[in-house]
Amino acid sequence: MAGGMDLGTGGKSKKKPLDATINLVPFIDLMAVTISFLIMTAVWTQIGRLQVSNSGGPTDPNQQEEKEKTLPLSLLITDKELRLSIGPTTDAPIPIVRDAKGRIELTKLEARIKEVRAQLPDQSAITLQPEDNVKYEDLVRIIDDCIGSGLPNVSVAAAMG
Amino acid sequence: MAIQAPGKRYGKRLEKSKVFGHGGVARRAMFADLLITPMVDMFVIIVLFLIANFSATGEVLMMTKDVQLPEAVNVREVEMVPVVMVSKDQVLVSGTVIGRVEDLSREDYLNIPSLEEKLREMKKQYEDLHSLAKDEAGGFKGDVNIQGDKDVTYKIMKRVMFSCATAGYNNINFAVMSAGSGKALEEKANSVSQ
Repeated sequence: MAGGMDLGTGGKSKKKPLDATINLVPFIDLMAVTISFLIMTAVWTQIGRLQVSNSGGPTDPNQQEEKEKTLPLSLLITDKELRLSIGPTTDAPIPIVRDAKGRIELTKLEARIKEVRAQLPDQSAITLQPEDNVKYEDLVRIIDDCIGSGLPNVSVAAAMG
Repeated sequence: MAIQAPGKRYGKRLEKSKVFGHGGVARRAMFADLLITPMVDMFVIIVLFLIANFSATGEVLMMTKDVQLPEAVNVREVEMVPVVMVSKDQVLVSGTVIGRVEDLSREDYLNIPSLEEKLREMKKQYEDLHSLAKDEAGGFKGDVNIQGDKDVTYKIMKRVMFSCATAGYNNINFAVMSAGSGKALEEKANSVSQ
């Protein structure tokens, strides 16, 4: 009775050992099957989605009241600069600077959007107007930046003129 | 001095000899104990890791070499909706080639008629299927995923988006590679709601 506790059931009756051996073979089989299944169904690429809406769609009537607290915000995207328009006024253009990997630096735009958000806390929509030659990667990066800066309702429209 | 069994005793030199000594003669046991505990530990860790990474939605988008997705941080989880794939060379819907990017970039139309037609067909199929099954909750919501290559210009994307919108797919989602933690957007949404 190695490691077992003697319960003292009497001298006549046969003592049953309290140490039970767990049969590990079915457990290992189950593990092997589970691992195989999980490896086969595993998705290794982490893909997400960015929701955008087409500009000019039907507007929600509940948003009419909120309109007074917000301003139409639009961002014109060309291959050289970004122009943010807040209501009737247009900001000074932000020149596009790229890093070593060729990605757009968006710190200035981010800071400007945060300033706007501080002035208009209810503002949640922005319309992006990229020109035809703007790369999809740059557009996605700007959409991502807008969502990250607190403007989740991003609409995409074609640049006019 | 240790007690030894009676018999011949050889010197140190022959102590381990196969002929005279006893050292090398001993038979090895036929059954070796396999160490199960570390193996079971390893299995448990692997299973836990795989379960933590398990995605119930499965692989929604088919990844090909032609399409390199852009990266983004503030992303949501991808849903099972129709996918329009825009690679460097061609536009595809559910594996069917709609047109070549080169041809599409030459034209000045706002939509892609063949894409629009295909999407309308898919919308009709979806609606018919759900009306037959009397599934009112699973009505058509107009979601579509656009899986575009990062080098494609907005001129093509604009036409694809316009075609999706005119075919009734108004909720457009751009498929991206998630660069950061997927919880970034949820955390942000929580902080905004508070």
